[in-house]
Amino acid sequence: MSAAPALSPRWSGQSRVAAFVFIAALLLFPVFITDQFTLHMMSLVAINAMVALGLQLLFGFSGQLSIGQAAFYGIGAYTSGLLTTKLGVPFPAAFLASAVVASAASLLMVPITRLSGIYLAVSTIGFSILVHLVLKNEEWLTGGTFGLIGIPRVSLFGYTLRNPVYSYFLCVGSALAVYAALVRLERSRFGRAINAIRQNEDAARSNGVAVTFLKSQCFMIAAFVAGLAGSLYAHQVRYLAPDDFTFWKSIEFLFMVVIGGVGSLFGAVLGAAFVVLLPEWLREIGDYRMLVFGALIVIVMLFGEAGLAGFLRTISRRFGRAFGRHAAGMRPPAATPGPSPSKQDSNG
Amino acid sequence: MAEVLIESSRLTRRFGGLVAVDAIDFAVNAGTIHGLIGPNGAGKTTLLNLIAAFYSPSEGTLRFRGEDITRHGPARRARAGIRRTFQNLKLFAEMTALQNASLGLHASNAAGVFDAIAGTPRHRREERAIADAAYDSLAFVGLGPYSDVVAGTLAYGHRRLLEIARAIVARPALLLLDEPAAGLNATEAADLSGLIRRIQAQGTTVVLVEHHMDVVMSVCDTITVLNYGRKLAEGTPSAIQENPEVIEAYLGHGQKPPPQEAHAVS
Repeated sequence: MSAAPALSPRWSGQSRVAAFVFIAALLLFPVFITDQFTLHMMSLVAINAMVALGLQLLFGFSGQLSIGQAAFYGIGAYTSGLLTTKLGVPFPAAFLASAVVASAASLLMVPITRLSGIYLAVSTIGFSILVHLVLKNEEWLTGGTFGLIGIPRVSLFGYTLRNPVYSYFLCVGSALAVYAALVRLERSRFGRAINAIRQNEDAARSNGVAVTFLKSQCFMIAAFVAGLAGSLYAHQVRYLAPDDFTFWKSIEFLFMVVIGGVGSLFGAVLGAAFVVLLPEWLREIGDYRMLVFGALIVIVMLFGEAGLAGFLRTISRRFGRAFGRHAAGMRPPAATPGPSPSKQDSNG
Repeated sequence: MAEVLIESSRLTRRFGGLVAVDAIDFAVNAGTIHGLIGPNGAGKTTLLNLIAAFYSPSEGTLRFRGEDITRHGPARRARAGIRRTFQNLKLFAEMTALQNASLGLHASNAAGVFDAIAGTPRHRREERAIADAAYDSLAFVGLGPYSDVVAGTLAYGHRRLLEIARAIVARPALLLLDEPAAGLNATEAADLSGLIRRIQAQGTTVVLVEHHMDVVMSVCDTITVLNYGRKLAEGTPSAIQENPEVIEAYLGHGQKPPPQEAHAVS
């Protein structure tokens, strides 16, 4: 039964297949759905998912509750918008610069990583409000409430991506790359250490983990990813207004993470789809849509803390039990947490 | 003469008006098992927390291998080779036993964010070595079969062992055990004594805070008795057992120590 010990659970055959199907579906999506608006919405889902993935690392893994991610998203968006419109910087450079500037801005968070829980959260809200006000009031730079207009389309290697299919692939591809990077991080020494910090900071410290440093790294990574997403957003909608980056947007990112399932990267993606798409689908019911949206959030939360990802896990487990019985002998012993047979041990 | 591994000089910690540790001069020789005993509130755990830097001293200094470490934080001391367990277990409850033990090796490795994302050879080499060493440590304390079990679901006695596995996986110079036998039954406590000796045999010096007298008397080379934050006596287990002051202050009314802790936590 005991093979070589594994620090991270091995990918099961089912999850490999699921990942393959998911990626294939994303790639084939524009083949079947050519409606421009739908593709645009899917691109927005991918962009938002990137920010949510970063926040999942920050909150779901390292346990730092940030309600200020819109600030980094906005910094990235404006960096890219300004560099391309005012200085004529090519997109790839502006794309990277957005991430670098956003993560540099996150260094302002280093002193507050010593705070925890609600105190940290309130400080990040403050930061989000601050950045929004700067975007709104520094008209010489950002255009103020008039916004930043005339942001060019993405152009790569001298070729402008006019077709929304290409920007769809750019956004989805970026989101997949971020996803893959964070999956690898989750299953590494770094990932275990930040999870350890969340679960017991004292214990992490007593094992030599540089807690403040790692927490700051998490802020930087989340901000880096949010900056990338901001840049994509700027070139996707090609018009930036400060009100896209209010503290409400920060709350939306938190919704994505919590609705999707705290601690689950895939959950962050599901959450992003939920938060971005649902209000659009509900547009037909007009003024009531936010009411229904709010109610749906409450309902999803009532299903349990594991969110959409947990819901999906339950379904797939049931499904697997019903249809995968013949393969049960092939499956390795479950590494997933569950009721464990350890209670029978001698215990005083 | 034995080498002194850690040494305090007039180490003091006050909590408001209470002097929990009062100008203690304390030295632990390398390679020994050093017990810290005393009645409740004597300052044992406070002294341990001062050595692990979970408290900072109000006064006094601490030297580790001759170096002044008074101002070093807990993570830095851990990296220097001072590891600890906690009286109230502090495990990473959602992680497997193997992952818990692997955290003890965090500071001995270097692969960071870029290594993990890029999957560098260093990352892969370290991951393999971490998994092997963590598994060896689990096997050493007797938790080999439980490596894939989530820590929060382990039985109480196993959780205590897991904390020790995590603390010794990096082969620290100094291990601070804070009441490792609390809540264990007699058999488990006897096993624990054996484990502590095996840890010593690996070259780790042990400081043991413990109420469980069987364990203390059977494993310790030297015992320091604290009372009201001060050092009351110091010596070998047999000398301590016969010291009239200790018997009076700690054991009370000339009685032998109770055979073992009565309470058991589940």
